[in-house]
Amino acid sequence: MSDAPLLEARGLTKEFLVKPQGSTFARRRPFRAVEDVSVQLREGRVTAVVGESGSGKSVLARMLARTVSPSAGELLVGGKVIDPHQRRDLTYTATVQLVLQDPFASINPVHPIRHVLERPLIIHGTASREVPALSKELLERVALTPGESFLDRYPHELSGGQLQRVSIARALSVRPKVLLADEPISMLDVSVRLGVLNLLRDLCDREHLAILYITHDIASARYIADEVLVMYAGQVVEVAEGTDVVDHPRHPYTQLLVSSVPDPGHQDRVRIQAPSATAFPEEGCRFAPRCPLADDRCRRQVPELVEIGTGHRVRCWRVEEASVLFSSRNSQKGGGEIT
Amino acid sequence: MSESILRVENFSVDYGVGDRAVRAVHDVTFSLGRSEVLGIAGESGSGKSTLVYGLTRLLRAPGVIRSGSASLTIGEEGQRREIDLLSADERELRALRWRHISVVLQSALSALNPVRRIGKEFDEVLRYHGQGTSRAERRARAEELLAMVGLKSDRLDRFPHELSGGQRQRVMIALALALSPDLVIMDEPTTALDVVTQREIIDELRELRERLGFAMIFITHDLSLLVELAEQIMVMYAGRVVERADSSDLYAIPRHPYTVGLMNSFPPLSGEIVPMSGIPGSPPSLASLPTGCAFHPRCPLASEECSLSSPPLVVEGSRSLACFHSSPSVRERLEIRS
Repeated sequence: MSDAPLLEARGLTKEFLVKPQGSTFARRRPFRAVEDVSVQLREGRVTAVVGESGSGKSVLARMLARTVSPSAGELLVGGKVIDPHQRRDLTYTATVQLVLQDPFASINPVHPIRHVLERPLIIHGTASREVPALSKELLERVALTPGESFLDRYPHELSGGQLQRVSIARALSVRPKVLLADEPISMLDVSVRLGVLNLLRDLCDREHLAILYITHDIASARYIADEVLVMYAGQVVEVAEGTDVVDHPRHPYTQLLVSSVPDPGHQDRVRIQAPSATAFPEEGCRFAPRCPLADDRCRRQVPELVEIGTGHRVRCWRVEEASVLFSSRNSQKGGGEIT
Repeated sequence: MSESILRVENFSVDYGVGDRAVRAVHDVTFSLGRSEVLGIAGESGSGKSTLVYGLTRLLRAPGVIRSGSASLTIGEEGQRREIDLLSADERELRALRWRHISVVLQSALSALNPVRRIGKEFDEVLRYHGQGTSRAERRARAEELLAMVGLKSDRLDRFPHELSGGQRQRVMIALALALSPDLVIMDEPTTALDVVTQREIIDELRELRERLGFAMIFITHDLSLLVELAEQIMVMYAGRVVERADSSDLYAIPRHPYTVGLMNSFPPLSGEIVPMSGIPGSPPSLASLPTGCAFHPRCPLASEECSLSSPPLVVEGSRSLACFHSSPSVRERLEIRS
């Protein structure tokens, strides 16, 4: 395993121009959907990005897939900086592939599966006599067996889980090193979700792909990922190895997230109370308006992402106090903002 | 169980007629106690939404109620009367809706009229279904209802697109409670929301129910959510009820292999990471259901018997179960096999 990450993002930022709500004639103002996000995707590792809707996680995925161009920051493949002006770049798409949330929307319904798989093969220059055998092999790699029985079927004849596997097979057709999966299981039936998740983990272990798994479901991130990033309002607020983000969350937002997940085994768990989501403040920590610990500094200055342990980084001024917030979960109840 | 508010017997719903009819709800029987919360769990296509659309008579063609009976008991204590939901005509239904039964749908964005201010929706419900009140009184009541779900009264002057998803869903819940109904049906009200908002809404619902005492049917695919919220849970698969039990019993000892599979489909939030498998295969299409038990092609315990006949729903104490092979240790047996 080499040391340089297969795909690295440094300080990715995306600004969109938006109209302030309610004012028809006001000038459009920049809105930072993603701010200064750095992430390293390495061979044989699953990196998960967890965040609620509007946290910027999908925009991040699209910047990594180069379907959205960043306002600032750079992408590196195998340590080499990608020229942002070179738009049609087959070597990039042959390295990095994106799997989208809804397979019924991302696969053309009027063509059979054969067509769906053959197109990228042909575009990327596979000799035409090899194409049929390769398509069949691709389907079998995503556990759609026997492969030939699926080739002539149309998307509507497949279930959601099967179709999502086809869309993973399509991504694999160009032999990518990096797979970006944007909420790949959230549209699927509950009972088939784990199957697709296990497939991603398998591809990572067996074929040493680097996988970015984007989700709103922190339990599934804990299950599959080697590293978990938590995003809030466009920023990474916490990063940790393995299960640490869920087992020992430090940022108040991560704690709020973890304590909100339905978990009948731990109904006695102390819950963090926070006001509902509001518009993000222009200065200071973006979570400050909802944070039970926020003080003046939090409202004025944006905190940096600071390392607090091996591989564990947190963007919070009051991280020392914040850790107490959570560890009181099981020992002491009531008091302050915790109920 | 206390006195029941809703009784449903042998209820079946088809989509379409004749040879091409597809049975979406098959022979469902249950009753719901006053102030009780029943959770219905199942995947898409399990018939859980069709069941409540049928019961509330909101089902549209090609949906057809094939058989069964459903009655709702309304009125003050001492003068209760039973209403046959399936034979009620439009006028009777209109008298029932909002006042006795209300429904909250999954997508608040499509349930609210996009070109109307929120206040107008409240005004209409209170005007046509409530007692004769003045406009000012209706406005005051609407403000009170919004306050109940934690929204400021200025939201009444907003359009749906100006509210966030969680706020819209709160508006729907406030509307559903506007006339203090006896039964509120929630069809996946939190599925489209993020977990923090879901948690807020669930906590609010619990508190409102304790205060107002309405009965509730809560539909979702998320069993762990139901365990927290419901007293009874009914698990549906391919249009049939496969298991029904008290929620804590169901969570502690799931008996139907499908229930076990469903519980194993959610990775846990704590403990060691162990490989989990979900359920092999995919949910069946209602148009081509397997013979016998609809779950048998995906079931690790299936035998020949299962493919020949469909197991009846057998009542054992507080639990009902439709499986030939289940025993209290079914979970261990399944885990050894997988």
